[in-house]
Amino acid sequence: MARLSPFKGKHHQSEEMALQITSMADIFVIILVFLLKSYATGATVSPAAGMTLPQAQAGDQSVEAVKVEVTRDAVQVDGLPVVKLKDFAFEATDVQQNGVSTALSKALELQRKRQVQIAQANSSVKVDARILVMSDQKTPYSTLKSVLASAATNGYTDFKLAVVRGD
Amino acid sequence: MSAGTLPGLGGKGQQSQDFELNITSIIDTFTVLITFMLASASFLSIGLLDAGITAGGESASAAQPPSVNVEISLAKDQGIIVKLTGKVTQTLTVPAKDGKWDFDGLSHNLAGVKSRFTDVTSATLVAENTIEYKEIIRAMEMTRKTLPYVLLGGF
Repeated sequence: MARLSPFKGKHHQSEEMALQITSMADIFVIILVFLLKSYATGATVSPAAGMTLPQAQAGDQSVEAVKVEVTRDAVQVDGLPVVKLKDFAFEATDVQQNGVSTALSKALELQRKRQVQIAQANSSVKVDARILVMSDQKTPYSTLKSVLASAATNGYTDFKLAVVRGD
Repeated sequence: MSAGTLPGLGGKGQQSQDFELNITSIIDTFTVLITFMLASASFLSIGLLDAGITAGGESASAAQPPSVNVEISLAKDQGIIVKLTGKVTQTLTVPAKDGKWDFDGLSHNLAGVKSRFTDVTSATLVAENTIEYKEIIRAMEMTRKTLPYVLLGGF
């Protein structure tokens, strides 16, 4: 390193500076190991923006299934909004007498047909009755019933209700 | 980082064998990795509760029905009603405690039912339309401690 100092000294001491970064490397290794350990692989479930899931003690198994999200303004199927809600309520014209939402049922029927087509083409794939329901904690039971009824009429009868794991 | 003089390597010259390991590039790599992982990590721990419904399904179940059917109803006044039908017809009421749901009382009542009818493993949960989802989940959680299979009803 060239001598940078403008100060004049009597002795020609070396002014090379070695930054001690060993401890920093140690910290980085620990952080990296922690992050790698807690890093989720495979199917990850994350709630939509503005959604607060209820808290409960539950298993942490992850599933590959059709995902239905119920927020204050809409119902989404696999991330795509299919029904508009008004303060968690379906529009009266959308709900049939048996509680099934026409628009949601149509979207789930499409998903079901897709599953059946894949199962027909590939014998190792089976039609799955599982459905992942992510609903805001303030959702009234009437809306939840409509969602579950719409899913059940299309063959989705094994419900997996997503919650935030608590104590 | 430095290391002392290595033994056994005799040399004629008195050259210093101290060396410095250059870990700057490793630090750079770690920084990039940590930044990426922090940005993509989810610190919310999501769990899944199994539930079924009392209606729907493609085929009828061949399972033997239990000696009593247990139906749990959540009312608007935060009272809980446990109805037993089958061998015994009985209604147990769990009133609100300090204006809140008494889920401990529910759990106590269900434990009593389970001790009388050991073959009972499931319960049907029904709620009024305005009851919020978080209360349904709380009730499910408490019921599952005694009866592991919870079906949602009221369709």
